[in-house]
Amino acid sequence: MHHQTPMALPSPGRPAGTLAALDDLLRQPTTLLARTEAADGLAVGGRILGASILGWVVYGAVAGLFQGGGQTLVAAVKAPLIVLLTMLLCAPSFYVFGALAGADLSGRRMLGVMVGLSGMLALLMLGLLPVAWLFTVSSSSLWFVVWLHLLVWAIALVFALRFLTVAIGSQRARGALVLWMLLFAVVSFQVTTYLRPVLAREPGAPLVESGKMFFLEHLGQAWKVDGKGDR
Amino acid sequence: VGSALLALPLGLVLHRRGDLLAEVAQGEHLRRHWATLTLLMTVAAALYGAVLGSWHGGLLTLYVALKMPLVLILTSALTLVFNWLVAVLLGFPLRFGQVAVLTFMALSVGSVLLASLAPIAWFFTFTSPEPTAAARTTHNLLYLMHTGFVAACGLAGNVSLWSALRRVAPSPATARRVYFLWVVTYALVGGEVAWALRPFVGSVYYPVVFLRDDALDGNVYEFIVVGILPHLWSRLQ
Repeated sequence: MHHQTPMALPSPGRPAGTLAALDDLLRQPTTLLARTEAADGLAVGGRILGASILGWVVYGAVAGLFQGGGQTLVAAVKAPLIVLLTMLLCAPSFYVFGALAGADLSGRRMLGVMVGLSGMLALLMLGLLPVAWLFTVSSSSLWFVVWLHLLVWAIALVFALRFLTVAIGSQRARGALVLWMLLFAVVSFQVTTYLRPVLAREPGAPLVESGKMFFLEHLGQAWKVDGKGDR
Repeated sequence: VGSALLALPLGLVLHRRGDLLAEVAQGEHLRRHWATLTLLMTVAAALYGAVLGSWHGGLLTLYVALKMPLVLILTSALTLVFNWLVAVLLGFPLRFGQVAVLTFMALSVGSVLLASLAPIAWFFTFTSPEPTAAARTTHNLLYLMHTGFVAACGLAGNVSLWSALRRVAPSPATARRVYFLWVVTYALVGGEVAWALRPFVGSVYYPVVFLRDDALDGNVYEFIVVGILPHLWSRLQ
């Protein structure tokens, strides 16, 4: 795959530092990937990852406003943990999927792709943050809010898939990437279940529930909390 | 030393399959390639096997880490002669060593992909309810997850086999016929070998054993259709 030449200096009017990296991620993903492979690539990657974590913290805090109070803080901590743990679990399979599809994934390249993925997910979630906030603070149904966040997550994943297709540089790999992204989504549901409760917690309940369960059962609980399962 | 020993075959399968196939087509270094691929496949399959068996604790973890590579090696041992004969009879004059390397290359690709899914499989296993008699739904979901992973990775291995055969076969039609017969034979035999070597996930009703007393009764397809799917369907009602 041919990489575009990285822009050495920010031109007048062009954002600098972290904003420039995020700008590249949106407009010229291949430029960003090339930058992460350059000598200061680790610093660029670190800035994007830091900004992504901050983005997820903000998104989590807004999601926690559904119940408000201490749960805002709890959700702000758990949201980045959910995405980071999911990425950690899924990264090895991404490397093998990509390599088998013919992508030239060096260690730095892999790091750049993962950091780019995190940035893309965070940007999309922040882009939809006002919408999520509006529905979160105006809704009293847990079931509705769960679906709202699932929708936001699905939109973020679709655009992240587009980024990954560009990053891998092979249309041949698109089918494998779609499969991987579905797997990524399912793993994120299970991680969320493991770290539950995120959106709402009974008074006096622990910050993390100890019982083990599958994410389908967790979804079913949200359904029952609203009493819709009895209809 | 261990990681260096594995990095070489891993690079061969993930990044230099073209070089490998060129040498296979020339009939060069077949024994060395076969040994390298067998090592890689064994380690990767054992790694996933350890995760597969981990729901029931340490003993089944160990058993399945041994049994996963065993399934692949036994199935290959049972089908290699037939595969070689079929190739020769269909006008694809491969040497026995070439058939062995092509077969184990496909198995290695599938196993490496499977090993890369091990962290995900481990996480689902680790976060699942304990294996009690009341956890049949969990057992069935884990069973379906592992079956799905193994099937998908097997498919990826098959894709690499198909690419390899297309590259070295005398004609596309010959490659198609040989590929079809090899895959069907391997799937049928592999399904039964895996069934005979059960348990892998481990039953919620029976104790952990290396092999069951009724090892040669029934087959895996029958179990999914008659046992698992009706139970999950009834849970959805």
